[in-house]
Amino acid sequence: MLKPAPRKHPKFSSDVLPQRLVAALLTALVLWLGWAAALAQSAAIPPAPQRWVTDEAGLLSSTARAKLDAKLESYEQKTGHQVVVFIGDSIGGAPLDDFAVKTFGAWQLGKKGADDGVLVLVLARDRKMAIEVGYGLEARIPDAVASRIIQDIMAPKLRAGDADGALEAGVDAILASIEGRPFVGDPSAPPVQRETPPMSTAKLIVIGLLALGFLGLFLTNPSLALSLLYVVASGRHGHGGGRPGGWGGGGFAGGGGRSGGGGARGSW
Amino acid sequence: MSKRALVVIGLVAAALILPVGCAVSTYNELVGLDQKVEAQWAQVENVYQRRLDLVPNLVETVKGAAAFEKETFTAVTEARTRAAQATTPGRAPDDPAALQKFQQAQEQLSGALSRLLVVVERYPDLKATQNFRDLQAQLEGTENRVAVERMRFNEAAREFNSKRNTFPTVILASFFGARFKEKGYFRAEAGAEKAPKVQF
Repeated sequence: MLKPAPRKHPKFSSDVLPQRLVAALLTALVLWLGWAAALAQSAAIPPAPQRWVTDEAGLLSSTARAKLDAKLESYEQKTGHQVVVFIGDSIGGAPLDDFAVKTFGAWQLGKKGADDGVLVLVLARDRKMAIEVGYGLEARIPDAVASRIIQDIMAPKLRAGDADGALEAGVDAILASIEGRPFVGDPSAPPVQRETPPMSTAKLIVIGLLALGFLGLFLTNPSLALSLLYVVASGRHGHGGGRPGGWGGGGFAGGGGRSGGGGARGSW
Repeated sequence: MSKRALVVIGLVAAALILPVGCAVSTYNELVGLDQKVEAQWAQVENVYQRRLDLVPNLVETVKGAAAFEKETFTAVTEARTRAAQATTPGRAPDDPAALQKFQQAQEQLSGALSRLLVVVERYPDLKATQNFRDLQAQLEGTENRVAVERMRFNEAAREFNSKRNTFPTVILASFFGARFKEKGYFRAEAGAEKAPKVQF
């Protein structure tokens, strides 16, 4: 092993070394290009958001963002549905459908099992948007409704430069749609048939079941029940004040929900 | 004698129990992955069914405005019928030929649908109606769901296959024969790496 080494040495003369260097550089370039192409194919999923409204592109005014964030936060506390707004800059030509589904999946919006999350995705530089609806809300926000919200409510306002208004009206329409209310700006030609489930009784039943379950847990394992109660209560108080702009601890966290491509996409 | 016999019995028992324990856990793992593939296959059938349900409505709506594009409608209706018949009996993921037939029938419907939508381009009045716009949104959403569920099916199948084909497991899997057959995949469509896009 040692012997050939000195003999080889003269070979690294001026004509061989550059060749190797070029080859190495070329390999690196090819690898890098492949990596860049892969990146372009599927844009990197942004890290899970800290809040209900994230505006990386600076599209919204800070007051509008804070107001929307507070609204969605209290909406989740009231109903349990996670509606999240993310405004990014660009995904550089990667397919939006794919990006929306993967982002939703990575953030796990909505509760596990209920899959009751909605992601409102806006790409400021690409001038594209998507409403990605979790499996559990597909019946409440059918694709046609999501498409109307994008095309008839959000896109015209965005085109006119009113991003605050677009997001506010769009989110209002989504919340209305979840609750089965007709939404403002609905071009109600033939209104979409949507059987409105009697929310109040269903809610009462769910609450009753939860209370029963808790009682059972309390009887069998009081300490676990109490600590659970404590976690829930402190979670409520942690961001219950609804103070907009309070970016302190806690905040948003996905609940394990899934989506399967429901919703709509559009551009402006 | 007794000591020696005990040692031998112990060794034999260990030699038997250890592989059996491993085999049991591997078997259970394979069953779990197999179940995931099955569940995902159900999702795939589900979204394709959703598309089948959508087609008659779409055809009716377009027919009202573009009655003389007869052959386009016939092509869509026929492709739909074939796709509806292409439902696979039993465990389609285990049968690559059946899976391929299923995919082909669905792709023919995709092709017929995109031709129908090209035709619609010639009827701006139709395109502007709320009814058509809603249908269009539903169709887009459905195609998107198809793409998502197919991708997830392929992921589940890949997970199963790679577990099934790794070294010690492959022996066990082949021991059970048809129970753990390798799963088929949805191929990327020719000429496009995505499901046919409904573009306007």
